[in-house]
Amino acid sequence: MARYGMALDYKSCINCKACESACKEENGILIGADKHRIWVGVPEMEGIFPDLSIGSSSYEPSQCQQCDNAPCQEVCPTNATYYDDNGVVRVNPEQCILCTYCMQACPYDARYIDDRTMTVDKCNFCSDTRLINGETTTACQATCPTKVRIFGDLDDPNSEISQVLRDREHYSLKTHLGTKPKLYYLT
Amino acid sequence: MKTEISRRRFLQGSAAFTVVAVSGAATALIEKKKHDEVASFGLRKTQWSDKLEEVPTLCEMCVNKCAAIARVEDGVITKLNPNPLFPKSRNMLCARGNAGIQALEDPDRLKYPLIRVGKRGEGKFKRVTWDEAYEYIKDKMVKILDEEKDNRSTIGFCAGEGMAEHTYVSFMKDKIGSSNFVNHSTICLTTTIAGYSLTLGGYGQADLENAEYVIMAGANRAEAIVTPDTMDMFKRTKGRGAKLVVIDPRFTNTASHADKWLPIEVGTDLAFVLALTHVAISEELYNKRFTQENMSDFEDYKKHILDKGYTPEWAEKITGIKAKEIREVARDFMAHAPRSIYYQGRRTAWSFQDFQVRRAQAIFTAMGGGIDQKGGIIFGKKLPLGKHEISSPTYFNAQGRIEKNKAAVIGTSGSWIAWRNTIIDGTAPYPVRAFFAYKQNPMLSVPNTTKTRQMLETMDLVVVIDTMPSDTVMMADVVLPESHYLEREDPVKTFGGSEPSIALRKKVVDAKYDTKPVIEIMRGLGEKLSKPLFEISKKYDEELQELIEDEGGEEAVYKQEGYDLADGFRHSQETINHHMVASVYGEETWKTLREKGIFYPDMDKYFKQKSVNNYQYYPEHKKSYSVIKGDLEVEPYHDTCVDTKEMSVLKKEFRTATSKIACALYNLEKKKGVDAMPTWRDELYTPTPQGRFRFITGRHGQFTQSGTANNALLLDLMGDNYLWLNKRVAQERGIKFGDKVEVKSSIGAIQIKAYPTEKIGPNVVFFIHGFGAESSELTLAHHRGANDNMIIEDHYEKSFGSAAMHETIVDIRRV
Repeated sequence: MARYGMALDYKSCINCKACESACKEENGILIGADKHRIWVGVPEMEGIFPDLSIGSSSYEPSQCQQCDNAPCQEVCPTNATYYDDNGVVRVNPEQCILCTYCMQACPYDARYIDDRTMTVDKCNFCSDTRLINGETTTACQATCPTKVRIFGDLDDPNSEISQVLRDREHYSLKTHLGTKPKLYYLT
Repeated sequence: MKTEISRRRFLQGSAAFTVVAVSGAATALIEKKKHDEVASFGLRKTQWSDKLEEVPTLCEMCVNKCAAIARVEDGVITKLNPNPLFPKSRNMLCARGNAGIQALEDPDRLKYPLIRVGKRGEGKFKRVTWDEAYEYIKDKMVKILDEEKDNRSTIGFCAGEGMAEHTYVSFMKDKIGSSNFVNHSTICLTTTIAGYSLTLGGYGQADLENAEYVIMAGANRAEAIVTPDTMDMFKRTKGRGAKLVVIDPRFTNTASHADKWLPIEVGTDLAFVLALTHVAISEELYNKRFTQENMSDFEDYKKHILDKGYTPEWAEKITGIKAKEIREVARDFMAHAPRSIYYQGRRTAWSFQDFQVRRAQAIFTAMGGGIDQKGGIIFGKKLPLGKHEISSPTYFNAQGRIEKNKAAVIGTSGSWIAWRNTIIDGTAPYPVRAFFAYKQNPMLSVPNTTKTRQMLETMDLVVVIDTMPSDTVMMADVVLPESHYLEREDPVKTFGGSEPSIALRKKVVDAKYDTKPVIEIMRGLGEKLSKPLFEISKKYDEELQELIEDEGGEEAVYKQEGYDLADGFRHSQETINHHMVASVYGEETWKTLREKGIFYPDMDKYFKQKSVNNYQYYPEHKKSYSVIKGDLEVEPYHDTCVDTKEMSVLKKEFRTATSKIACALYNLEKKKGVDAMPTWRDELYTPTPQGRFRFITGRHGQFTQSGTANNALLLDLMGDNYLWLNKRVAQERGIKFGDKVEVKSSIGAIQIKAYPTEKIGPNVVFFIHGFGAESSELTLAHHRGANDNMIIEDHYEKSFGSAAMHETIVDIRRV
């Protein structure tokens, strides 16, 4: 039993999309536009050539925020979306009826339809490919060239993620919605 | 919350790529592709079966050679993960590295040997056995060499970078005996390698882990990934230890990490560097002790820079960069020195003054003292390997390179453009009648595709060794399919630097098709060609005739002089690697290397995981930062693309300095007419005419040139290339995002979709290299995007014959 979370040193991101392809290979994601669990947010650049605002240009890697209070879980009529023992928001393909309420409810646009398993799928922190086997990394964390992600147990005060969150300033996305995300962006 | 998170990915809305679209478009090379083959585009999830095995290997999706561990289940690779043990790749695998499985599983791969049946370029082939393919090649070679009276150089050959490149090159050069070799250097990094090597004694490694101030000009390390540079750099940008100044006409992903981005007029980098130098000299900011102790002819250089008047104001008029900015950069650079680096860069095939730009950069870095020092350009150490020697016959009738007089210095890897043009413009002293290509796709990679096609059309024999049916494969008479990198063992390699190691690419899975690794192809060809070609030599080579008479017979000479062309290739790669490692480090090390993929002395003691993401390879005091005593004679660090042998020949001839850094190369001027010191030449620079555009090209992090263009997973990340043009210019011309535009130069025109952006200036346009394949056998890459080399004019600079790819002026119009 653990409570897994992820801290993102997003300033190191170079938008190379290694995380996205590692995720696809790891989790057998169907190839095709938008059928994926990870993406990198790219804001519109501010300024006019040659006076561009470098500060306005950053890359924000994102995925399911693994909310402690997940709207997608709340609206699921069949309990296909559930919290597992590690606090990871998971989907049971057997129970999913593709009603897509979760897609509407998720404020992070993190859910998508996997046409093969006929499931409204999402990131599960590699629970069924790595955690189940005792590997406490995710594919995206391990592969990242500039090491954006720190994955670990938030309940363990000695874990690196717990230490980093104590030592460094960070923010989470859309916290005003009360979703309590377990993804933390380090500033 | 500052940024809007969006799932809609940049530049992809209109280029959505689906598996369904694939199956409909698939056409077959010979037999119809089966649907289940197309279905293998879907990715496989790890099942954690009992048969799961983890095999260490090295990636070949680009030239970096990052260490990977393949998860194999029931003979199928389900995931490639980074191997944390390798200091060079620092526990990472990029998007391409992850997509290696898709390259292996690509249903379009070359599966068996082919011989052309239609017209050349028509793409009609028949399946043959390896022996039939070798027999065909033998018949043609015997005829050609008989007619050319054993002038071996009538067989031209090219190669792309790869771990087995040397195996192929030594067969073609040492065994077949041709001097007409061209490789990627002169369409990539010749000028920077030569510039830094002749100035500093070696190209070196930028110690970006410890540098405090870095100027990257044109080098786009956030997109054109180089390990470990990319990882070391971007963890420390944005106020976290290293200041980064990016000089680039385009706002790249690298620029988004910069403290300062200075868009420069294309082709004027030399003026910028000379002005930085002027500031450092006139304000006496340079490291006086270092220059005195380590730089030869520095007083001459100082005088040269001041006398020529290379002031920031002078440079502002040429480069478009404000004098104030130039002063600030020069002062900041020197304030942070010796931990300041003017980054060497790799593809430096831009303009006519490239060599002198790199010389000036190297000298400027040295003026700060950041050479052979932590945080500067370092050379480090290299772990030796045992030798594998190949005996080579001497062919009396083999002539020198055909393009040797087309630039001041033409090295053993030639000048691609000059060489090709010499063949088609009729200035060659003798005909080049056959052409072999290994792992290179000159139809897409060399400026002016039309001329490359013409060159290939003149040949009596074209043989291509590759894994994919590229545009160059379509021009072949004989196609020899190489096994995929995950299906073969390659020559073991030693990687120098501050943390040296040895790495091995081991075979992960058995070959799926009737393909072979290069060493076996060379063995097969050698066995087929040896005797018949020896007969030709006997007929025309008087030296050989004498030798046979003096040395007691044909059989002895054939064996002793290396005329048995297969003799260096008979052992398996594994046996050769075993010898090269065990002969130096013993059997235990060989075992470790095979088990772990990586070896360096005391690895078991030194290697430690320090945090979730960070590893220690060597303790700080064991890293090799400063290694030079006197002149750098042998370069320990070697970039995977650097031919060290060639560089030491150059150095011997032109570098007379006895100290670390040569400011003036008087020998190069005297013997070859190349400026001894970096000098701006007005006649070598043409400003972009009003209302027209300069075309520039480049790379990014999801594809490697044209080699990965058919990769399903990578196309899913970026499905097309787009023309970057300034937003306001686009508006004036009524061009909107996604509109088709024609880009036309003096040699050709292409059509491409537009991406109006403020990230590029009003007189420059850009699109990414590697798209626009014509080969209909590349189901996914065929006619996707545009080929830059259809419009890039075939200019080359006259020092080393390196391509000047950014000297093309184009016009654009909406179609």
